[in-house]
Amino acid sequence: MDMEMDIPLPDELELLEADSHLFQDSLDPPSPDPYTCSPQLELEQSPPQSPSEDAVLFDEKRSKIYDNAGPEVDDEDWLRPVQDRNSGNDEEIVEVVVVEEEEEEEKIVSRYVSEIDGDFIPVTAPSGGDRVYAKICRVDTEQGAKKLDFKSQSNGLISEPINVLLQKMEQEAFTKALQASSEDQSDEILPETQVMHEKLWVDKYAPNSFTELLSDEQTNREVLLWFKQWDSCVFGSDIRSTSDDILSALRRHSSITQHPKPSDSTFFSKNKGHAWSRGNFRHSNNLEQENSKPKGFQDKWTKKSRLTGPPEQKILLLCGPPGLGKTTLAHVAAKHCGYRVVEINASDDRSSSTIETKILDVVQMNSVMADSRPKCLVIDEIDGALNDGKGVVEVLLKMVSSERKSDTGKENVTKGEQSGRVSSKKGQKTASLARPVICICNDIYAPALRPLRQVAKVHLFVQPTVSRVVSRLKYICNKEGIKTSSIALSALADYTECDIRSCLNTLQFLNKKRQVLNVLEISSQVVGRKDMSRSVFDIWKEIFQKRKMKQDRKSKGSCGSLRNEFDSLLSLVSNRGDYDVIFDGIYDNILQLHYHDPVMQKTVKCFNSLGVSDVIHQYIMRSQQMPLYAYQPCIALSVHRQVAQIQKPNIEWPRSYQRYRTVLMEKMDKLRSWQNKIPPHISRHLSTKSFVEDSVSPILHIISPPTLRPVAVHLLTEREKNDLAQLVSTMVSYSMTYKNIKPDPLACKQENEAALDASSLSVDPPIHEFINFKGYSSGHYALPLAVKQVLVHEVEKQKILQASRSVHLTHGHDKQNMYLAERESAMQSTQINHPAAFSGKSISNEKSMINSGQCVPSGSATSPIMDSSRRDLSNAKLKPSVNQKKPTRSSTSFFDRFRKANSKGSQSTDSAGWKTTTLERDSRPLIFKFNEPGCATSTFLVEPCLEAIQQCRFHITIDLIGAQIDVYIVVQVTAVLVILIPGNNIHELWGIWIVTSMMSCHYLRCLMLENLLLKNQNPGFCVLLEFENGF
Amino acid sequence: MTRSSFIKKSPKTSRNWSLNKTVHICSSMGPSGSGKKTLIMALLRQIFGISAEKVKVENRTWKIDAGSRTIDLELTTLSSTNHVELSPSDAGFQDRYIVQEIIKEMAKNRPIDTKGRKGYKVLVLNEVDKLSREAQHSLRRTMEKYSASCRLILCCNSSSKVTEAIRSRCLNVRINAPKEDQIVKVLEFIGKKEGLQLPPGFAARVADKSNRSLRRAILSFETCRVQQYPFSSNQAIPPMDWEEYVSEICSDMMREQSPKRLFQVRGKLYELLINCIPPEIILKLLSELLKKLDEELKHEVCHWAAYYEHRMRMGQKAIFHLEAFVAKFMSVYKAFLIETFG
Repeated sequence: MDMEMDIPLPDELELLEADSHLFQDSLDPPSPDPYTCSPQLELEQSPPQSPSEDAVLFDEKRSKIYDNAGPEVDDEDWLRPVQDRNSGNDEEIVEVVVVEEEEEEEKIVSRYVSEIDGDFIPVTAPSGGDRVYAKICRVDTEQGAKKLDFKSQSNGLISEPINVLLQKMEQEAFTKALQASSEDQSDEILPETQVMHEKLWVDKYAPNSFTELLSDEQTNREVLLWFKQWDSCVFGSDIRSTSDDILSALRRHSSITQHPKPSDSTFFSKNKGHAWSRGNFRHSNNLEQENSKPKGFQDKWTKKSRLTGPPEQKILLLCGPPGLGKTTLAHVAAKHCGYRVVEINASDDRSSSTIETKILDVVQMNSVMADSRPKCLVIDEIDGALNDGKGVVEVLLKMVSSERKSDTGKENVTKGEQSGRVSSKKGQKTASLARPVICICNDIYAPALRPLRQVAKVHLFVQPTVSRVVSRLKYICNKEGIKTSSIALSALADYTECDIRSCLNTLQFLNKKRQVLNVLEISSQVVGRKDMSRSVFDIWKEIFQKRKMKQDRKSKGSCGSLRNEFDSLLSLVSNRGDYDVIFDGIYDNILQLHYHDPVMQKTVKCFNSLGVSDVIHQYIMRSQQMPLYAYQPCIALSVHRQVAQIQKPNIEWPRSYQRYRTVLMEKMDKLRSWQNKIPPHISRHLSTKSFVEDSVSPILHIISPPTLRPVAVHLLTEREKNDLAQLVSTMVSYSMTYKNIKPDPLACKQENEAALDASSLSVDPPIHEFINFKGYSSGHYALPLAVKQVLVHEVEKQKILQASRSVHLTHGHDKQNMYLAERESAMQSTQINHPAAFSGKSISNEKSMINSGQCVPSGSATSPIMDSSRRDLSNAKLKPSVNQKKPTRSSTSFFDRFRKANSKGSQSTDSAGWKTTTLERDSRPLIFKFNEPGCATSTFLVEPCLEAIQQCRFHITIDLIGAQIDVYIVVQVTAVLVILIPGNNIHELWGIWIVTSMMSCHYLRCLMLENLLLKNQNPGFCVLLEFENGF
Repeated sequence: MTRSSFIKKSPKTSRNWSLNKTVHICSSMGPSGSGKKTLIMALLRQIFGISAEKVKVENRTWKIDAGSRTIDLELTTLSSTNHVELSPSDAGFQDRYIVQEIIKEMAKNRPIDTKGRKGYKVLVLNEVDKLSREAQHSLRRTMEKYSASCRLILCCNSSSKVTEAIRSRCLNVRINAPKEDQIVKVLEFIGKKEGLQLPPGFAARVADKSNRSLRRAILSFETCRVQQYPFSSNQAIPPMDWEEYVSEICSDMMREQSPKRLFQVRGKLYELLINCIPPEIILKLLSELLKKLDEELKHEVCHWAAYYEHRMRMGQKAIFHLEAFVAKFMSVYKAFLIETFG
């Protein structure tokens, strides 16, 4: 310390003296003031005496004294070296010194405390004991300028004293190391401060007011209009009248693009309340003067808006490519209308659980903070991550829909509206939107947004014109002092597609690098290029539409622009990916273009390209060689070269291929199901392919023979009957029939009948659809309805034979053993007349059946006991196909047996009932009347499901004496009843099979015979089905 | 009537090689309507007797473990006691699993006949040419490994899509489409059986229209019979509806050549495709009908038809290639017209 104290030189001191003469002047009259001796005084005075204790703290004080107290020259002698040392060795300390020195300047020194009205610091000179009071004030303009200077060039302020000191030091030949380190120090300060204080231009020049917005005027105004519609809901009704005026004004303005109001932005942005409404008033008055619109319109509009309250669509969806100012618009417009913006963006947690409370907070609560403006929710980047966006969208939709429901629930619209307003104001509703919500997205067609699109008011952002962007850019460049040409700027804007954010970033970046924007090499310069993926529609448009090239004619010729175009399109297509859809779109829309193509060369080339792309695609799919996808965009390019036109193409989403796919699948399904229905020995020969290829048309011809007369069956000649039988057998074996269908426009094959009959019959597996080409009338003969009905009937008859066979197969085969055992036991145990006889009979039949085996026909095919109903069938049975013979026979034997049983068991059966046959078949529910002797008549409504009708089999459950009896009835010419009673453990078969003709019977009546079940708990009982016409 | 006569011609051929029971695997190929299935049936009957004709359809769901996941496959099989018939290509891209699991499973189980001897069963695989390459590769090992207990009969339309590896393991039997005189014979036989009187030349006309497909011939024969029985010698044979439609398209193409017309044609082509008409046939027919053109053009059109059919088979979306052909034809035709008529 002492050594250093020796160092100072007299001339340095002189300099310092000269420097601080100003202060000396003010300090000149030394008047010690005793009464304001604050406790700080001691502290202040202590540093000079013990300077080395705490370097930082003391240095402050010292430096104060050093600068301030001019007269204490001798003090400077020892103070200065300390500082020298500090500046040389310790950077931190120097910094502090610098700061302090700055503060130092702000003091005004006075001898009297009373002269100082602010903060003050008493300073006492150690030698003379003079005390001065230094005022701390910050009003100097000079000071302010210096401060600013300091910010931009950090060493501006310290330059004087320290530089001087440094010079001295050099003169004194201080060590070189000292020098170097001090230079280092000043270097290091520089970047630090600069980083701290420079903003991104994007933020710096973000528009603050509505008029500064770059986006499309009309969009801006519509957004504003939307905001205004919230007023009545958000701000209450006191300012409604004016806001209506504004609304109408905005309305009018949004159609006529004019410059918006000049002065009211300040009013708007302040707060709600009077200033706000006054602003509106003034503005509206202005507009009133300008506009000569009829009052009626306005009134109507006011009334309307008064009724609507919050706007119809409570959510505003802004979408557009990045950098056009969507977020900015949302913020500015909200601010403009007096809202406080609360933004939720992709950086927040946006799962639906957390977002809900957040949205509710914003939307329904008023803040108690100082900023009492109503909030406006801005959900940015809603399409960002799929899951995130979905959560938000769900919540929003829930709110909107709940609102809707409550609205519709109200009886009176106006009342409902009022109550809705009240409740929304108070925030009573659990989930409703009471504040404007703006969603911002880039891709409107993002799948997560699909539901939102329907409820929200959608605004598509379009690019601002290049000139607007350029003028703005120019303005900013001027402000920043960059020299640019407007050509370069417009090229830049063009290149970034009017993305002002990217323009600004680029400019700032170039500015930093001290580069000048080069017109020609924008693409080669480091310009941030967006990794854009545009919507598929845009891509198709790009492909089909030639870009208008303005500047390419100037300098570069067509070659360069060609390359440019090529590049951009290539990157566009390849960025999108999804080539399948792209090519589908090209394919679907290409023929709608108007390109000049006399010999269709271009078309051929295009289709060749499409074919190539398809082949490549298939190859990639098969071999999984994904790198080959790189060649797909080039194909799109070649198409572009061929057909691109200047006119705007009219592009539709490609649906044809998808439609084709779905319809094809549908038809294939139909074919398959049909094929499954056909018995296997036939269907095995048919593949679906060969079916449509070879078989459909002939089959359709075959099943509709023109020779068949529409007369009753018995009137046909022998040969015709023969034909009919053959036809029926064909239809049965191909499992075709006619079905009642509702006459729909597609399958209206026989219009003449369909006009008369509401229910027309058409082929059941709708194979006629396979030849139903558009714009093609097939020459197929359509059968008259009567013939069809006959056919249906006959086919059903045929089927019944097969069905009974199948019943026999299922029940007979599966349960044969049990059945037999049951029968035998019944025979042994109970010896009752009728049942025993019956069961004995049946057993013998059964046994003969079993003995004869499954396939060997038992008995003669033509039974003598066949009644008249069978006669109808005889035709069909005469010529059954080879494979049908066996079942027919076996079933015949069954029938015989049943007939015998019935004739034995039932006394009351009149054969008249059997004979009633009509050609109609009715599908109405049958009512089974189950008459038990001694019991009340119980009626069962059987609901024949469609399938059951087709199968001609009903399944009813009769609750008889507590036991459930399952009855399987095959209704048609014959009816077979299989009665199963679930016993304790086993299903006992109480089998009575009754063969009867049930055609045209609307109601069935089941009679139990007297000597049955009730009397003797005997399984062998008989059930008779009695049919009565028109029962 | 439709079916019974089908079987007629096959016994001759099948008898020859049913004797040769050592032939494990036969692959029969030929166009549709030439009697592949019938032949196979006849062969089976020769081997197993009448029981081969008792078939039942089974629709079963198979659960297949494929690594981490299980795949549910539904497969319809047609089986008798001794043979199983299935078309694995129904499973689409999952046909590999059918071949790997189901067929292997079937092939492993060896039936034992009544006398306790070890018999063998026959697997009939339909539409082998539609099998994916993977499936075909997995098939070839199965073929060899289980050949003792299982014989495979592969049935396909074209052997070119069956890999060499499989073809070399098979006895390849090519079944030609019947010649027209053969068809005529069959038709006459049917007429005799059904007791119909055929006017001279009528059968020949039917055969001529049948495109050498016996099935089609018989069906159209029956159609004629239904429409007008005492046959008149110049009775119209009802055409296939879709063929009519194709010829309609052709006349459209001839009448006007422009993108607009092409668009109309596209709609019609879609109509055909929707109704399950295979695109290959459409193209073939198109080119054939267009052969009515001038001699000079015939060659070129045929060339292009072949070209686009090739592409169509390589590609996926048939409509692209069909339409490309139509466009090409229009272009060629228009150029020709301009050249000739100025």
